[in-house]
Amino acid sequence: MVYQIVRKEILENLMSLRFTLSLLLTVSLFAASTFIFVDNHRQQLDDYWNKTNENLSAFRERSAQLYKLAFYEQHVYRKPKLLALCAGGFEQSLPGHFTFDAFAVDLPQLAGQSNFTLPRFADVDWAFIVSLIFSFIAFVFAYDSICGERERGTLRLILAGATPRATILLGKYIGLILTLGIPLLLGLLVSLIIVVTARVGVVGPAIWTRILSIVALSFLYLSIFVFLGLFVSTRTARSSISMATLLLVWVVLIILIPSLGRLISDRLQRSPTAEEFERAKSEAIRRVDNAVSAGKFGKNAGRRTSNREECNPPARARYANAGADAVNQVIERHHSRMVAQAQTGRYFTCISPAVVYQRMSEAIAGTGISRCVNIYQQIKQYQVQLKEYIRDRDREDPDSLHLLFDEEHSVAEWNAISKRPVSFDTVPKFQERDLALGKSLQLAIWDIGLLALFNLVFFAASFVSFLRYDVR
Amino acid sequence: MIWKIAKKEFLLNLMTFKFALGTVLCTVLVAVFVPVLADDYQQRLQKYSQQVIDNEAKLRQVKAYRVLTPTIYRRPQVFSVFSQGLEKHLGDSARIDFGMIPEINAAPAELNPYLSVFPTFDVLLIFKIVMSALALLVAYDVVSGEKEQGTLGLTLSNRVARGHILLGKLVAGALTLAVPTTVAFIVGLLLLLSFSSIDLQASDWVRIAVMYIASLAFVLAVYNVGLLFSCLTRSSALALVLGLFFWVLAIVVIPNGSVYLARRIQPVETAEARDKQIRSLEQEFKQDLSAAYDQLPPGRGSEYDAGGPFDAYGPMGGVFNYYTVICAPSRVESWKKRVQIEASLKMKYANKLWEVERDYIRGLLKQTGLAKNIGRISPTCLYENAMSALAGTDLPDFQAWTATAGTYRDSLIAYIRGKTDNLRSVSYFTQSTEAERIEYEKNPESGRELRDRVRRRTKPLNLEDLPRFTYATGVTQGLRRAGTDLMLLVVFNILFYSLSFMAFQKYDVR
Repeated sequence: MVYQIVRKEILENLMSLRFTLSLLLTVSLFAASTFIFVDNHRQQLDDYWNKTNENLSAFRERSAQLYKLAFYEQHVYRKPKLLALCAGGFEQSLPGHFTFDAFAVDLPQLAGQSNFTLPRFADVDWAFIVSLIFSFIAFVFAYDSICGERERGTLRLILAGATPRATILLGKYIGLILTLGIPLLLGLLVSLIIVVTARVGVVGPAIWTRILSIVALSFLYLSIFVFLGLFVSTRTARSSISMATLLLVWVVLIILIPSLGRLISDRLQRSPTAEEFERAKSEAIRRVDNAVSAGKFGKNAGRRTSNREECNPPARARYANAGADAVNQVIERHHSRMVAQAQTGRYFTCISPAVVYQRMSEAIAGTGISRCVNIYQQIKQYQVQLKEYIRDRDREDPDSLHLLFDEEHSVAEWNAISKRPVSFDTVPKFQERDLALGKSLQLAIWDIGLLALFNLVFFAASFVSFLRYDVR
Repeated sequence: MIWKIAKKEFLLNLMTFKFALGTVLCTVLVAVFVPVLADDYQQRLQKYSQQVIDNEAKLRQVKAYRVLTPTIYRRPQVFSVFSQGLEKHLGDSARIDFGMIPEINAAPAELNPYLSVFPTFDVLLIFKIVMSALALLVAYDVVSGEKEQGTLGLTLSNRVARGHILLGKLVAGALTLAVPTTVAFIVGLLLLLSFSSIDLQASDWVRIAVMYIASLAFVLAVYNVGLLFSCLTRSSALALVLGLFFWVLAIVVIPNGSVYLARRIQPVETAEARDKQIRSLEQEFKQDLSAAYDQLPPGRGSEYDAGGPFDAYGPMGGVFNYYTVICAPSRVESWKKRVQIEASLKMKYANKLWEVERDYIRGLLKQTGLAKNIGRISPTCLYENAMSALAGTDLPDFQAWTATAGTYRDSLIAYIRGKTDNLRSVSYFTQSTEAERIEYEKNPESGRELRDRVRRRTKPLNLEDLPRFTYATGVTQGLRRAGTDLMLLVVFNILFYSLSFMAFQKYDVR
């Protein structure tokens, strides 16, 4: 029986104008956005490789003298990702330029072709199309599925048969999901065909799994709206009222609540201002300087001349490293506070499934804020690796003092680190690593749970109200 | 007759569920969020006044014209509550210095870049989404619904012109939609006025009035689109579906898609390319400066205070930003030359830097302009443009502010030149007297002690006649900018109404 209801629903939907319109709208959106994406992506990749090669060749020059490797300010850029097609994560307006040497990482900066005079906008990516357009289409299909049949009188006829109400609801649900699946899958297919034929990047198995999980979770997301639509449809007697209600629900859930993020994060968690940040930095430096005067790092730590015999290099090294560490801590704290501020806004807007879906697809695609944080942490790890490497190679040089610290002049003049050339191939280079799929899913697990919970709640609601629905 | 139809329609609309729901939702949202937004504005205003006070306090400590580099701030706009525009996106301060010309820039670094993932939230958002949805819901069954009920045939069997019926329906729709708009506006304004720090001038009321008209025009535009669909279709369900798809295009797809498209059509220069140019100019500046200094007799032999009240890193670095407390008289001439060279080089490079910056920004503005023009096919974008122009939070207003800041820089430089005999006077860089300087040269060991004495003796400059920075958002300019978009909105209305008129003339009422 379920099969028959599903079949009837799908056939009926397929013939309707709304289906034609949704198909046209979504498929053309998918196609247009993918064309633009492919073009942009190609250009961004060129740009990225130019900048990265520039950085690497400058880094290579430094390998003529081992100590210089530690002091070279590396420029690392966020690599454009193919999966940004699924969820761009607003990366255009997020900082994507990281500068660091072996001792310190600066705050990430905005990079590339970001245009600050533009109004804030969303990239038209899959996440955008699914979370905004498809949720809307789900409502457009679902609004009259119960009350519309009641108005036409067909609901009574079905119920007069031996079909249980649960079966009808299930049939309608499956029918709607399948109907929505047609434009969604068709659109995704078009999009993927464009990407694959344009050969902008290798679509490997790892990317396919991610894409498939995003598609699967998109259905989980859409199912919320189908349930919600069915629920409202069973609560109302007339389909026009049902549509009005659903439209306003959509407005609140999809547009208004996500927009509150900024307001909430501004109120709940202020990130420190630039002045406070500078003050904290100078405070940290002052504390280390006080420690020097107190003789904490050893004798003569504050003394610096070009002759190393006159100074106390180990003490100086301890002092310089303590200073660098103190500043690093301040920067790191500032950065994590900024991230925390942005995340607070998102936590509190999680009542909107659109926000949850957006965050989840970002996590799986490996884009967005969490990627910036990830790169930042990887740079920290890389610094350790680089220092380790320099220390290792330095041991081979008997003339050197074997002291690696953040003061280029002293290191050079005192020969604190070897000045011998090293082969550039052995030098560790920074390479951004994507999170493994398991890790990404772990990041997304709460969001997936939340989507499932939404499903459950609206399923229960629609089920109960349909059981009690008055078909007269 | 028109009036009768309008009255009937209006009363029928008032009784509907959708009307009640839309009105209540809109009013509640406005009532809840206007206080929050107004409080946000108040906080920004407080920060602004604090910054201005801090700047004044620093001005009172300045002891030489050379270190007179005040910072000016842009006052947050009251109507950012209604339309936030670019208020939180763009920089709102400028350092006035020989070394730089103010130009539009991104919001200061203290603003968290990660917050850019959030959309803006203002009263405009509530209006443009909720009210347009309501307009659509009111309009979709105006004609096709009556046909379905059979009442349209009855009406037309009388001696009523079709044009009159449609006009009556338009009037009824306008009246119906004016109710929630008016209520929301009044509620919002009352709540806004209840804040003590907010008081509105006469010109503000003009802007509010035009904002109200713009809102009505926008809502009516959506209503007219719904009317057209209603006249084109035979069933109201069909009209609704068509209307909904138009709505989602106008509200969601076009505003985002236009920007996405514009970024593709009109790519901008990368920030790195500009930064590279700027860095090389800075390098060049430093080289030029030291080359010019090398030709002078050494100018040290003086005691100075690093920094000064306006201690900040300018585009050229803060290295040169110190106040000379005292110097040896034999060095005075050399110092004079030094600071003159410094000032002229700074100005020269300020122009060069500005050219780089301006070219970069010109590219950005082109892209933004294109995005704006593409967006103009959607009434939502027209409405947004008009509202932000009226609120004074749009790009041209920031440009005007920046231009005023540039003029202020010129007047400040002229002021300093006037006070210091075109930078030739000693008072440009020090306040020490001839006698003190002689004493300093005679007795170089006591330099530090003498410096402290002179520092205590010298008073800050009397800056009473310093030109002050004032900027008032041009209301007429704002109105003019909004005028274009308002006109387009009216054209949109007329176009869609005449289309529905034509469709209705041929409408089959059976």
